[in-house]
Amino acid sequence: MFDFVGHGKKFLLISGVFLLISILALFAFGLKLGIDFKGGSILQVAYPKERPANAEIVSQLNSLDLGEINVQSTGTSSVILRFSEVSEDVHQQILDNLGNVQQERYESVGPIIGREASRKAKYAIILSLIAIVLYVTWAFRKLSRVLKKGESWRYGIGATIALAHDVLILLGFFAILGYFKGVEINVYFVTAILTVLGYSVNDTIVIYDRIRENFLLHRSKDMIGTINLSLNETITRSLNTSLTTIFVLLTIYLFGGVAIQNFILAMMVGIITGTWSSIAIASQFLLFKRK
Amino acid sequence: MNRNKVWTTFVLIIVFTLLALLVDIPQLPNWVPGYQWFSKHKVHLGLDLQGGTQLIYRTDTSDIPAGQKVSAVDGARDVIERRVNIFGVNESIIQTARLENEWNLIIELPGIEDVHSAVNMIGETPILEFKEQAPPHELSQSEKDAIAEYNQQAQERAQDILEKTLALDADFSLLAQEYSEDPGSKSAGGDLGWFSKGMMIPEFEKVVFEDLIVGQITSELLNTDIGYHIIKKTDEKIDEETGEITEVMASHILIITQSEEMIRQNGKWQYTGLTGKQLKSALVTFDPQTGEAEVSLEFNKEGAKLFGEITGRNINKPVAIFLDNYPLSIPVVREKIISGQAVISGSFKLDEAKELARRLSAGALPVPIQLIGQQNIGPSLGKISVDKSVIAGLLGFLLVTIFMIGFYKWRGVLAIMALSIYALIVLALYKLIPVTLTLAGVAGFIISLGMAVDANILIFERIKDERRLGKPLPVAIDDGFRHAWTAIRDGNITTLIVCFILYQFGSGLVRGFGLTLGIGVLLSMLTAIIVTRTFLRITTK
Repeated sequence: MFDFVGHGKKFLLISGVFLLISILALFAFGLKLGIDFKGGSILQVAYPKERPANAEIVSQLNSLDLGEINVQSTGTSSVILRFSEVSEDVHQQILDNLGNVQQERYESVGPIIGREASRKAKYAIILSLIAIVLYVTWAFRKLSRVLKKGESWRYGIGATIALAHDVLILLGFFAILGYFKGVEINVYFVTAILTVLGYSVNDTIVIYDRIRENFLLHRSKDMIGTINLSLNETITRSLNTSLTTIFVLLTIYLFGGVAIQNFILAMMVGIITGTWSSIAIASQFLLFKRK
Repeated sequence: MNRNKVWTTFVLIIVFTLLALLVDIPQLPNWVPGYQWFSKHKVHLGLDLQGGTQLIYRTDTSDIPAGQKVSAVDGARDVIERRVNIFGVNESIIQTARLENEWNLIIELPGIEDVHSAVNMIGETPILEFKEQAPPHELSQSEKDAIAEYNQQAQERAQDILEKTLALDADFSLLAQEYSEDPGSKSAGGDLGWFSKGMMIPEFEKVVFEDLIVGQITSELLNTDIGYHIIKKTDEKIDEETGEITEVMASHILIITQSEEMIRQNGKWQYTGLTGKQLKSALVTFDPQTGEAEVSLEFNKEGAKLFGEITGRNINKPVAIFLDNYPLSIPVVREKIISGQAVISGSFKLDEAKELARRLSAGALPVPIQLIGQQNIGPSLGKISVDKSVIAGLLGFLLVTIFMIGFYKWRGVLAIMALSIYALIVLALYKLIPVTLTLAGVAGFIISLGMAVDANILIFERIKDERRLGKPLPVAIDDGFRHAWTAIRDGNITTLIVCFILYQFGSGLVRGFGLTLGIGVLLSMLTAIIVTRTFLRITTK
């Protein structure tokens, strides 16, 4: 039997280092918001033969006064242009100026929609966290009867701290990706965060469920022993589930097309941290201020 | 549970699976009974998968009273829907979405590549509103000051002109043409024609009938409610019996002043509820007197009733017809009109009248709209995404199969069978509900597949545990299920909570993800506890 609780301090240290890096990255780089949140335009066009140099594309658009234009190559002969939000007429002029190109994708988001999207995203994440604390506390209410009053809140809060850990690391990871690789945060990313919340709490609950069962079964007052036993009993399941999900995600990441690659990457990171945090944070929190 | 029940469940599972399979297969051969019904259901692909255009319009409802905003926005949606249908876009979706105190219209046009023509097609829709005068409001001090200042300047201007008219070589009619602000007489050199007593403002009348002699110009400005007048009496008719002046001919130069009453009334047009929404048809007609082209409007029943009420309460008052936010025509109501017909006479050229009637006939919007966002995805990009997701999904499934069979042996085979049944039923549901599949939705489905695997793994791990305790296999299976159930339930319910929140708060894309994941999670619970369990029971004696 592996002594999870004995190694608890080491686990916390590892999580602490990752958290620190994430928080520093968030403060230093910030998240690179995509047009979904800040408004703007994305235009993807395909050239019939070879695509011209980026500088040449920018100079073709100079006369339109688009502000900063970001040009990025994609596929064999396509480019993605990012610029400020423009009217439909300007959009048509851009296509005219670019010459013989085929528009593959165009998105233009006004600042109002962007503001609304980020408001909704925050709302959804916070509401999910609250709902999860409440549900977990309710689901583990029996423990309050066996142990002492208010015990089930410990589970609700423990699950939420683990979730906050996952979300922070995910945000930090994308802050770093945004800074070095220009990866932007879009609505998909928020969806990924919310899914990770669901997944991670699922993982935590499976472990908590076993701890609850072992408590009720043995009526044991040996906290550390019960938690260790439960973690050992559930570790195979935790790893197997994470692995199968990561298999599926990895295939989508490799073969599923560029459009959702970052979304899938966010999920993979979240599932790894979710599995980790259930063991390293959520379970250890049950012993917090009790040893 | 006895063996009979287990077999009954097994048969039911097979029946459901076959039904799902029939729905899933895109085109069934003719000999399958009910093949038409089964093949009728198609997978609905979102814009990102099949290509197309999404347009987001903001509606401007600032003029509309709080209680009527929703119905005005709904009216706009109906008009655009009609318009889009005229242009033959299949499966277009038009939704309204509330955004704090504003409403947006989200228009999805699958298969429309040419955004420009789509935008034009919708942008061409005229905005038609009938407005009445707002009740007078009290003026603020600054408004009063502004009036006083304007009138002061008007007086100075008028005084200058008066001095010019009194100059020796002055031509009154030329000055009137240049300076007068009376649109009715300005071009005629200020000439008002013949008029008798009682036709003019009393102060004006007194000056021309009593003070002035023919050919004389007022030496001082005359101030009336309308403004400052400089008057020249040009002729008179005298009753020979009484010696009284019966008719006078005069010219004037008018410099308009503002009155508080005017400012209170002017420019305040308010929403009446009568808009393009209630318009039934529009035709070009001609004014029988002048022969000018006009546009005749016919309202539907609701519009006719409203129009009757509006004209009824505005007799002798103006009602403005606003087209595209511009008061096109401001006729004064003579009588209550209950026929539900109105005429826009705006001194049109025939072409203009024809064009307007055509645009109005295709539907007129009850509120102004503004394009604030758009998304366009080429069909090739969508096709690539579909192909890639299918390949990725199959590959992922293959990997899971290998893993499950490698790790759990024969039970893994059962789990994969249960998962396949799960996938078939979910896909059938997507077609039947129908769920619009987007890339995010596909991801939601694949993740729910992962959750379904998880439920199976949980169960198998528990069965192993029970076996270790020395229980015989059938008992271990039942106990394993019972013990795994609480974890599966609690884990899935929290995911369902998240799905619900995604569905409630998300935009179209996030909604689709929440829906597919939610359906997946619910069904994965069902398949794990019914299908996997039944299979395990049947294969163990």
